[in-house]
Order: sequence, then C-alpha cells, then structure tokens
Amino acid sequence: MSDERARTWALRRGEPGYPPALLDLGTDVPGRLFGCGNRTLVGGLELGHTVTIVGSRRPSSYGLRVAEDLGRLLAAAGLVVVSGMARGIDAAAHRGALAGAGVTLAVLGSGADVVYPASERRLYRDILSSGAVISEAPPGQRPEPGAFPKRNRIMAALGAITVVVEAAQPSGSLITARQALKLQREVGAVPGPVTSRVSEGTNDLIADGAAPIRGAQDVLDRLLGVGIEAIRRCGPPLEPELAGVAEAIELGSRTCDAVAAASGMVADGVAVALARLELLGYVQSDPAGCYSRTTLIPPES
Amino acid sequence: MLEQLALLGTEGEPLAPSGPIWSADGADPAAPDLADLRGQPYLRYALEVAAAGGHSVLIVGPPGAGKSLAARRLPSIMPPLSRSEAMEVLRIASVCGRSPGPDTPTRPFRAPHHTISTAGLVGGGSPPRPGEVTLSHRGVLFLDELGEFSREALEALRQPLEEGRVTIVRARHAIELPCRFMLVAASNPCPCGRGEESGECDCQPASTRRYRAKLSGALADRIDIAISVERPSAEDMGAAPTSDSASVRDRVIAARQRQERRLGAGRCNADMNLAELRSSCGMDEKAAAMLANGHARLRLSGRGHDRVLRLSRTIADLEGCERVSSDHVARALTLRRRGPD
Ligand SMILES: [Zn+2]
Repeated sequence: MSDERARTWALRRGEPGYPPALLDLGTDVPGRLFGCGNRTLVGGLELGHTVTIVGSRRPSSYGLRVAEDLGRLLAAAGLVVVSGMARGIDAAAHRGALAGAGVTLAVLGSGADVVYPASERRLYRDILSSGAVISEAPPGQRPEPGAFPKRNRIMAALGAITVVVEAAQPSGSLITARQALKLQREVGAVPGPVTSRVSEGTNDLIADGAAPIRGAQDVLDRLLGVGIEAIRRCGPPLEPELAGVAEAIELGSRTCDAVAAASGMVADGVAVALARLELLGYVQSDPAGCYSRTTLIPPES
Repeated sequence: MLEQLALLGTEGEPLAPSGPIWSADGADPAAPDLADLRGQPYLRYALEVAAAGGHSVLIVGPPGAGKSLAARRLPSIMPPLSRSEAMEVLRIASVCGRSPGPDTPTRPFRAPHHTISTAGLVGGGSPPRPGEVTLSHRGVLFLDELGEFSREALEALRQPLEEGRVTIVRARHAIELPCRFMLVAASNPCPCGRGEESGECDCQPASTRRYRAKLSGALADRIDIAISVERPSAEDMGAAPTSDSASVRDRVIAARQRQERRLGAGRCNADMNLAELRSSCGMDEKAAAMLANGHARLRLSGRGHDRVLRLSRTIADLEGCERVSSDHVARALTLRRRGPD
C-alpha cells in the first residue's frame, strides 16, 4: 500500500459544487472545504437523499450490527451515507454503505488527506474508491480535540436525517444530534436496552421526541414517505433488447448464463448487453461477476 | 531450463510424482469434451476466451454448478502441443520417473487438493520434487476451493505465474523449473457453499463478504477472467449438446496464430507486456469511448484497465478482427475479474 497522500481539492463557498445543504449553517458556514475522492458526489448531494449515521466509538456488538445494516440498506436504497469515520459506529456505517454498493461520505476533523484514526486506513481507501472524504481543516492538518465538535455541525447539516445508533450521555454523537435539531433536520435514534450505558443517550433522545429507528425502513419512511423502499431515479432510455435484459435481472437472474436462459440471447450478446447496462447504471456486478439491478428506472416510453 | 530439470533427475532418489501426469487428452475420443456441458453457454464462452488468450480464470458457484466439469475440459480446447512443447512435457514426466508411454503427450491437467503443502504446489522439499506448477507445465492447474488454500501457498504461486518458471533454493544451489500453465481457480459463493440466492444459506452477510474479499484478493493481479455460475436447470441438462471441443479448438488455434504473428512463437495475449499491450490494441473511436466510460463508471484501476485491454484483444483475435471494437470492449468488461489489484 502506498503511503502517498491522496490528492485534495478545495471548494469555496459560493462556488459551483459547494454543497448547498451547508448554507443552512448561517453564520457558521465553512468558507472552504477540502476533500479527497469523488468531487462530483459532494457537489451533487441532494438534501432528502442523505443520511448521517453517528454513534459511540465503543459500541456494543448490537450497535455495530445495527449501524452496518443501516449503512448497507440505506446505501442500497440510494441514499448517501454520511459519517465521521471514527472507530465503532461511524466506521461500521461506512462499511455497511460500501457493502451495499453505495457511496459514502466521511467528514473528518483532521485534514481530508490525513487518515484519522490511522487504524481505518483501509476503510479510508475504500471510501475514496467511490465516495469522498471532506474536511474544513486544511490538507495535512493533524487531528486536534477542538476540531471534532466543529466537524459534527457539518455532518448534521449534510444529513436530511441524523440517526444516532448508540451514544453514552454525554457524547459527541449527541452534540451532532442537537446541531441537527437546531438546523431543523430530522433526528432519529436506535432504541437499546435500558441497562446499557451506550444506549442511555439514544433512549433519552427517543424520550425527548426523536424518531425511534428500528431499521432502514423507518429512515426511508421519514425521508421518502411511508412504504417507499428506494429512491428511484430515472435513467437514460433503453433499447428493447437491453430493457429485456434489465428486466431479467430484476426478476432474479444473477449470472450471465441465467440471463442467457431468460432472454434467449447468445453468450457474447449477453456479455455486451450487461456491460452496456452496467455503464448506463441499470445493473451492478459484485467481485464474483454476479449481477443485480440498481434503483435506476427506465423512462416511460 | 530443461537441462537443469534433467540435472535434477540425476541427483539421487527418483522424484516421486503425486499422481498421473496427464489426465486429459484432446485427441482421445474418450476424453472429456466441452459438449458435456449442457446449457451454460456463457461459461463455455468464458473458457473459449480463456483458452484463446491464455487467460487465467476464476469460477464462482455452488457445488454442482459444473466448475470442475468445465475446468477439466479446458485442455481439450487448447491448441495441441507443439513438438517442442511436447518434448518439455515428456522431459518433466521422465524426470519424475514416469514413462509416458508410446502416445504423444497431451496437455496436462492437475487438480491438487487444497491441503497441499507449499512445496507440493511449487516444488521443493527434500529430496526436491517438482511441484504441481511444473507438473502442469503447458497445461492446466486447477485449484478448487481457492479460498481454502493456505495464504502461503497462494503467495508462493505468484512468481511461477508471473515468470513461467519457479526457483527452488537448495542448500548449495538453486534450480529452476519450467511452469507455464493456465490457472483455473474455483470457489463456492459463500462459506457454507450454498450461496445467498439459494435461500438455504445461513452465512452471516459479513462473513460472506470477507470470504469474497479473500477470493478476489487471492492472486488478484494474475487472474483476468471471473465468472459466476449456478446449477444448470433441468431444462439445461436435457438440452441437446452444443458445440464440441474440436470446433471451439479450431477457433482457439486461429486466435493463437494471430497472437504468435504479433508477439512471437509460443506467446499469447495473457503475457503481453505494457508496450505490447499499447501497440497491439488499436481501437476505434467507440471502443475507446466505452473504455473511458468504464474507467469512470466502473472505477477500473490501472491494472483493471490493462486487463480489459488484454481481454478485448483476445476477443478481437477470436473474431479475426485487426481492430478492437466497442463490442469487444463490452464483452471484456463483463468477463473481467473485478476487485482489488
Ligand atoms: Zn452460505
């Protein structure tokens, strides 16, 4: 693995590509953001399609599992998962999002090119492969204690909803939740055992009126309306043959041979169709070459 | 190289082979034939491209999906051994104390179990023995359950795969053995083997992901093709046999001849260096645009990009085309092994 620093870019307030959600921070809008990775992702962030997931650095196994599941299912549903790359809940949420073949955005307290915590170097690299890491701190800046509460306000502003998975009382995650409330963003919390110290903060949030989050669908219900399971974006038009292959995959064909059987196409034709569908964003493939449909829908013809 | 191999044989005890030297015979009517694969046209296509360019393959699927059935049929669609290749195979056989019999040798097929030692795989030990990589020289090495092989054994395969020869260091000197083979690796889709889509898999999603990550990481940079397979349906099993090995092999031979004209005798697309890759993959505009699009949308790494180029070249060779078209690139994108490099 190379230790070379990732290349950073800068976004100034007022420039195209600066995330509009941050403008809600009023007098506290970051003048400049630095980032590594997928710059268009940051500019294209749509409030309403983002979820911030935060929580304890020392979670229970229950919390880790819930965070990973939320990250994975919400990313797969088309939301951008925002978190802080801290050990514990944050890292689990990012990991889940990546496993859901989604994109995820990390907001750091250190410079965007400084991997903190260093133990998450691998996660950092995985996030950059599709998503982005941003920070208010200039490149090369080491983490300083004061930077984290400031960083939390950026996470709170970027998420249409902030979900706290596990948090002790008091904790940084609760600061993020409070900032989200101040910005009139939704706040949700994952209920936990009343005997667990890391569920004190989250159970308190629920008692104070935060939405109880029992799973990904609760978040989607809040953001998109009850019963909607994914953000369906409209893709480019498809020729009939490609539309047929996309439908075969929607109906459960996962391998190229299954597509060949379902569509009656010859093998090399299937290979061409799948590559074109993947480039158009209608299907995705895992490392083993198994295909699944994305949430993109073809336009009405 | 082979002189050294012969030297090895004179060093004392005969080198004990661990199994038959060749088990597939393309010329033998009783040998396994590609026609035995019912249905699964894409799996057959992937094997054809693999054989045409000498590309190594990873096949992922549950037990009964025909992974080993397919791998065993790969030698039957590879070109017959040239005279000098046949000599090499004979020398290795004789060094191992095996008399190959009166028949012309055919391409070896070796399928060591995943419990094999590193020395058993790449050679070594005391007295030194050629490993499976050398026994499969000019043929196919099949590693079933790739994820079960020890990390050490898989790491030790790196040099043989890259260089086509393996160095065995002994107390007083090092010996070099030839090992140009095509690698076919196979794996279950998840730790329990049934696969998520079967509905019977009880693996934790996280452990399945770890399992797959280990797979895609193993020998990553040396495997060009990855394909997922499922159990053939009852309909497939009843289907009439399609193309047999002989007709596929004719196309493979023609494609290999094109490669040899470009690269020199005995060479194939899988071992093109970067300069050869750049100079031989003339593309039309649409093909270049598709590759650039793949770069952006599929997050191809530099190595992934080169892999797609190599595969596109082979696919174009199979179709007898000078230039690489966008359809060739598209097929290569679907066939390519994804994941880390
Ligand atoms: Zn399983």
